[in-house]
Amino acid sequence: MENEHVLDLIPEYLDGSLDNETMKNIQRHLEKCPQCQQEVKEMEALLKAFKNDVVPVPSERLKSRFEEALEAEKAAMGKVVPLSSKTKKYDWASSVLKIAASIALLVASFQMGSVFQQKKIDQELAELKDENLNMKQTAMLSLMENQSASKRIQGVAYIDEFENPDEAIIQALANRLLNDENDNVRLTAFEALSKYTSSETVKHVLIQALEKEKNPSIQVAIIQTLVQIQEKKAAEPMKKLLENEDTQPFIKEQIKAVLPSLT
Amino acid sequence: MRKFTIILAVLFASTVARAQADYTKSLSGIQWVKIESKADVTVKTHSSNELLIKSGPSMKTPERAKGLKLVGEGGTDNTDVGFSVIQDGSTLIVYNLRKSGDAEIYLPKNQNISVKSTWNGDIEIDGFAGEIEADAQLNGSVRVSNVNGPVTANTLNGELAVTFGTVKQDSPISLYSTNGAVDVSLPSNTPANLSLSTLNGNVYTDFDIKAEEKNGMRSLLGRNIKSTINGGGVNLSMKSTNGNMYLRKK
Repeated sequence: MENEHVLDLIPEYLDGSLDNETMKNIQRHLEKCPQCQQEVKEMEALLKAFKNDVVPVPSERLKSRFEEALEAEKAAMGKVVPLSSKTKKYDWASSVLKIAASIALLVASFQMGSVFQQKKIDQELAELKDENLNMKQTAMLSLMENQSASKRIQGVAYIDEFENPDEAIIQALANRLLNDENDNVRLTAFEALSKYTSSETVKHVLIQALEKEKNPSIQVAIIQTLVQIQEKKAAEPMKKLLENEDTQPFIKEQIKAVLPSLT
Repeated sequence: MRKFTIILAVLFASTVARAQADYTKSLSGIQWVKIESKADVTVKTHSSNELLIKSGPSMKTPERAKGLKLVGEGGTDNTDVGFSVIQDGSTLIVYNLRKSGDAEIYLPKNQNISVKSTWNGDIEIDGFAGEIEADAQLNGSVRVSNVNGPVTANTLNGELAVTFGTVKQDSPISLYSTNGAVDVSLPSNTPANLSLSTLNGNVYTDFDIKAEEKNGMRSLLGRNIKSTINGGGVNLSMKSTNGNMYLRKK
């Protein structure tokens, strides 16, 4: 301690706020250390200067003039009139109306909110349904290209999922009816298409199929459908079938029975 | 001398046996086996993953054809049992070149098979769990028994008979005949959506089925019955234009 500088403790030393032992230690150190002595001297000088310095105080005159100015300013400003609260008369009718109005507001906003919410949900549902239909369409179209006949039939049967099948679906079904090598698939495709006979495309496809189809079960089903919708253009392929030797006798009979109604 | 004759006889018999050997071919990488035949075909299951065509007495080549190859629409006999076997991608095409006699073919249980009879041949398929397609294009009949998988089958003039084991899959089953009867046996607890229609035939069944008429309208295909059994499930469609239809509980 004796050999350490005591620069940090000098202000407290001069202030006399240290305990006796530290004071003694510092004194002992100061005796040996000219550097610290110098520091103490400078610090003493600084403290003396602080003590001698006089804090300037505003004169009495200045103070009174300020007060005067303040009063003048106050007087110049308009008089502030406090609003007296109205007579507090208990008006039960108006409170009930107020409560009713707030409840009505609450209910209305709630209803409004739920209407908007519902609209949003409906929209989201519609989007979801749309997406779902798109997915189904993709699934349907890809199933119809499957190597397995059973899967192709499954694809064709997906038609029940669509209320208004678009052209791509009708075309895919037509493709099955006209070109599939499996008779069961062709028959299923015919049954699917026969629900949309109001479409010109479908009518055209059925007539094409009648010209091409070799399977008697499908032939007879197509003939019945075309007669039912009274498709006059079907008469030509039917006459051809009558002339064809390969046509099964029961098909010929069927054609003979229905042909007069078309011509 | 007698010993020598016996040895000779044994040697001769073994050569004959080798000449009459069954044809086998591995099925690794094969998804579908397509069989086409004008004569009767029986397809059965066995446990190894290969195609096996039995050579029976009816497979015997006439004496005059010795050293000659059997040829036909489907190609040349490359099996020595009267069949042409060609691999096309993942499909194996098995063509029966003979126009008469029975052919007996063995395949693994889970194989997908497609069998076509183009003339008078009857098709018989027994015990498969994969997909089955059978098409008797002219006078042949189709008989499918003990199957689980989806069946797509049709006949023109022959009868179509199918006996199902447990039906667990959801791919549709489609069976129809133009002039033959359609006869189906189904386990009584099978969940299914049934669609039965016939133009000139009658429908007989011991399942609890009621004809469902939409707004009193009759279907386009004459008598069309749609019904669900056991809560609905696999789509089972049966049609016959001129034949009767039989749907039985097994």
